[in-house]
Amino acid sequence: MKMNQKLSWVLMLGATVLFSQCKNADNPEPEDPNELITTVRLHFTQQGTTTPVSFAWRDPDGEGGNPPTQFDAITLKANTTYTLEIELLDESKTPIEEITQEIEEKKEEHLFVFTTSPTGLLTYTYGDQDARGLPVGLTGTTRTGNAGTGTFKVQLRHQAPVGGVAVKDGTPGPGSDDVNLTFNLTVQ
Amino acid sequence: MRVIQICLLFLLGTLAVRAQVPSCDCFVKGVVRDQHTAQPIPGALVLVVGQNKAVTSDEKGRYELSGLCPGHYQLECRIVGYQSIREDIDLSAGHEENFSLAEEEIHLKDIEITAHRTDAPLLMPVEVLSGSDLAQTRGQSLAESLKGLTGVTTLQTGASIAKPVIHGLHSNRVLIMNNGVRQEGQQWGSEHAPEIDPFVATRLSVVKGAAGVRYGSDAVGGVILVEPEELPIDKPLSGELNLVGFSNGRQGITSGTLQGGVKGWAGVGWRAQGTLKRGGNVRTPNYYLDNTGIQEKNFSLAAGYRHQGFGVDLFYSRFDTQLGVFSGSHIGSVTDLLNVIEQGEPLIKSGFSYEINRPFQDVSHNLGKMEAHYHFPDGNRLQWVSSWQYNQRGEYDLHRPRNDSLAALNRPELSFRLTTFTNEFLWDHKPLAQKFSGQIGISNLYQYNLMQGRPLIPNFDQWSLGVFAIERLVHNGWELEAGLRYDYRHLTTYRVVNRQKITDVFAFRNASGTLGAGRALGDHLSLRLNLGTAWRAPNVSELFSDGVHHGAAAYERGDASLRPEQAFNSIGSIQYSRPSLTVELGAYYNYLRRYIYLKPQPEPILTVRGAFPFFQYTQTDASFRGVDASLNWKPTARLAWISKLSYLRVYDERNNAYLVQIPSNRWENQLRYEVPQAGGWQQLFVSVGNLWVGEQRRVPVNSDFAPPPPAYALWNVQLGGTLPMGEKNDLEVGLTVHNVFDTVYRDYLNRFRYYADEIGRNISLRVKWKFGA
Repeated sequence: MKMNQKLSWVLMLGATVLFSQCKNADNPEPEDPNELITTVRLHFTQQGTTTPVSFAWRDPDGEGGNPPTQFDAITLKANTTYTLEIELLDESKTPIEEITQEIEEKKEEHLFVFTTSPTGLLTYTYGDQDARGLPVGLTGTTRTGNAGTGTFKVQLRHQAPVGGVAVKDGTPGPGSDDVNLTFNLTVQ
Repeated sequence: MRVIQICLLFLLGTLAVRAQVPSCDCFVKGVVRDQHTAQPIPGALVLVVGQNKAVTSDEKGRYELSGLCPGHYQLECRIVGYQSIREDIDLSAGHEENFSLAEEEIHLKDIEITAHRTDAPLLMPVEVLSGSDLAQTRGQSLAESLKGLTGVTTLQTGASIAKPVIHGLHSNRVLIMNNGVRQEGQQWGSEHAPEIDPFVATRLSVVKGAAGVRYGSDAVGGVILVEPEELPIDKPLSGELNLVGFSNGRQGITSGTLQGGVKGWAGVGWRAQGTLKRGGNVRTPNYYLDNTGIQEKNFSLAAGYRHQGFGVDLFYSRFDTQLGVFSGSHIGSVTDLLNVIEQGEPLIKSGFSYEINRPFQDVSHNLGKMEAHYHFPDGNRLQWVSSWQYNQRGEYDLHRPRNDSLAALNRPELSFRLTTFTNEFLWDHKPLAQKFSGQIGISNLYQYNLMQGRPLIPNFDQWSLGVFAIERLVHNGWELEAGLRYDYRHLTTYRVVNRQKITDVFAFRNASGTLGAGRALGDHLSLRLNLGTAWRAPNVSELFSDGVHHGAAAYERGDASLRPEQAFNSIGSIQYSRPSLTVELGAYYNYLRRYIYLKPQPEPILTVRGAFPFFQYTQTDASFRGVDASLNWKPTARLAWISKLSYLRVYDERNNAYLVQIPSNRWENQLRYEVPQAGGWQQLFVSVGNLWVGEQRRVPVNSDFAPPPPAYALWNVQLGGTLPMGEKNDLEVGLTVHNVFDTVYRDYLNRFRYYADEIGRNISLRVKWKFGA
């Protein structure tokens, strides 16, 4: 390997500065953040219709660099039932990576948690389950209350097994946040 | 750089006592030699403490002290470039009564005094851990071993990762010299422990204060010297075997050494050493910490040759560890962190296990070193040290990649590979007028880092060149030292930003100086004062970080316009020393110009995991003021009281505020009772100690998620002794109980203080079998 070559160099050259030895450092590999999520889209489809209204959070270059480019406020009709589908993307990659699909495949260790404040503004019911009958939250149903304003927090809990033992138990407790976004919500 | 190598001053003295009591014509004579080369040392001062008698060794290293009365004396030998040594000689009447007068009028007795050639500036405070004090720390990590020294604390990440902190400074502000070579690992990270096996060393020294002239960049807070024993040239085979067990974590360590000369090959010596360590989940008083196991496999090989003033040494060491990182410390968002703090204990609990799961660190460090020197017959000396280091660091996150094919590869999410070459040439000029000695040195370094995975730091390559000179004078009870150094460093970084390669070039230059004076006042009192400067170039993480630091729940951003830090350090000490009482009082003032730190920014940064507090690497001017005090009082021959106090106060002078992550003040007391002999045992001792650590009240307001933890006090008990099993064949046994009362506490300088308590009671048993030496 290259190492032996270098060792012999150093033994031969002593104090000489080895300018020519730095050929690999100047060839950095592209960064490889496997866990990156740059885009969160919420698709609300009113019951009985097929065209969703969508709201998004986007930070196409990931953490750091430029600030997020989009953080929509959610506006929904009062006392209406919607289906809610979540779409996650990594737009920093070419081609754009579908994170939603990966969550679907790993749903035994993921849980979406939706928290509305004030609580009456919107209620959420899970529409999917993993193999152990625990909720996931990629699809679900929401029911808005009376008109008002508040916030709608979307969390994706990554509840990976600890020491080979599953920790997901249907509650938000275990694991850590992969997504934690608080959208402004207006019900009118 | 004269002091780079570790060689022993060997004072082979022949003590002659003329037993014509009560007349005072006993004499002591002998030769002062450097053990490394066996060359005589001219100009060494040999004095009898309390007798106002001193002589200087002649050009053949010989000395003779005459006109001594029978009695108890301390013999002291001092020579520039070596640590002064003291040896007790007992010429008591009681001793002589055992001599048969018929036997001979002159009784001859060999006394061997071994002194260590110091690798430290003469006039700076140096704390040394060796012999039985070092033996009591065996099995612990390097930083843990050192934290019994005054002014030295640790910065921890959980129970298994510890970094040494000297006078409040750590990481890249503390330089580690591993067997005479700058340790070039990944020390910029606060969760990156030094990649060193303490079993390699028989001596750990801490130089406190800025020592930039001798060591170059990074010696801002101090220097840690990890020094193995001199190679056993032409000595018979000897060795030792250490077995250590810790109850907490059910940790077991075994380490062995074999060494000797080679028959028929004059001038040759060799040593082989290896360590194995395995530990499982550690336990706080109330719960286990999940995934805190550790595994280590280290070894080192050394060989050397000496012939007529010429010597060459080869050394290779490999350090290899896997460290579990407490799984409860993975923080996705600020909400996660606040939840854990509110809960008061980890959300993930577990039982005992040796298994290491994600997240974990996989670190290895290789060091190859060649040292050659030649002593010219006229007293000049030339030395060349060349080294190669290869550091590999993999960090595995809690989560594997979501993508199955990537996950199957099981690659570290962060990988650093750092290769370093260093060279150093030293010329020690011969003593001039038996007063001046000095050293000129030139050193260079070339290194490059290869980075893969999650964006954190860029690839880089850098080279540096340093030139220095130090001159010392011993005259009329004064010791003076002065030195100058100039460094140049050239750094090139390579990053990919938005799929484009960006290259940045930096050049750093710095001049350092040192000035020291020491004065002995009478036989028991001495004063020392040292002024020194040191510098440190900003490291790549300070220049280019840009992202969330998981575990700290902070968004950290570097600044490519940072300039080098400079330390101006003054340190003075008074030492009063008698056989029954030693008091040392040291005070320091360290001013760090352009001190680099993470400054909280008013606006948080929004990421997909929510808003994170935003910290930017910024420079300010900081002052570090402190006092180290120690006392060793022996009211009776068997009882000793040892007390150590460290006080530190740090202030941001530019912003008129305190700084974060400064160790709190501490006071350690120990009562020790020794029994020289009982049954078949020797050097039996029992000690009870208490460590009090204060609450850090000097913190900037609103800079932290949780306030610093309250003060705590820990008790520990130690007992030990040596069981001789034959000639040159000893068994040393030690039993230690740390945190006797299973006290629940947290330390401000443990980064996991948000998540979990510190470890509870820990009982350790150490057995060391030593043979042949």
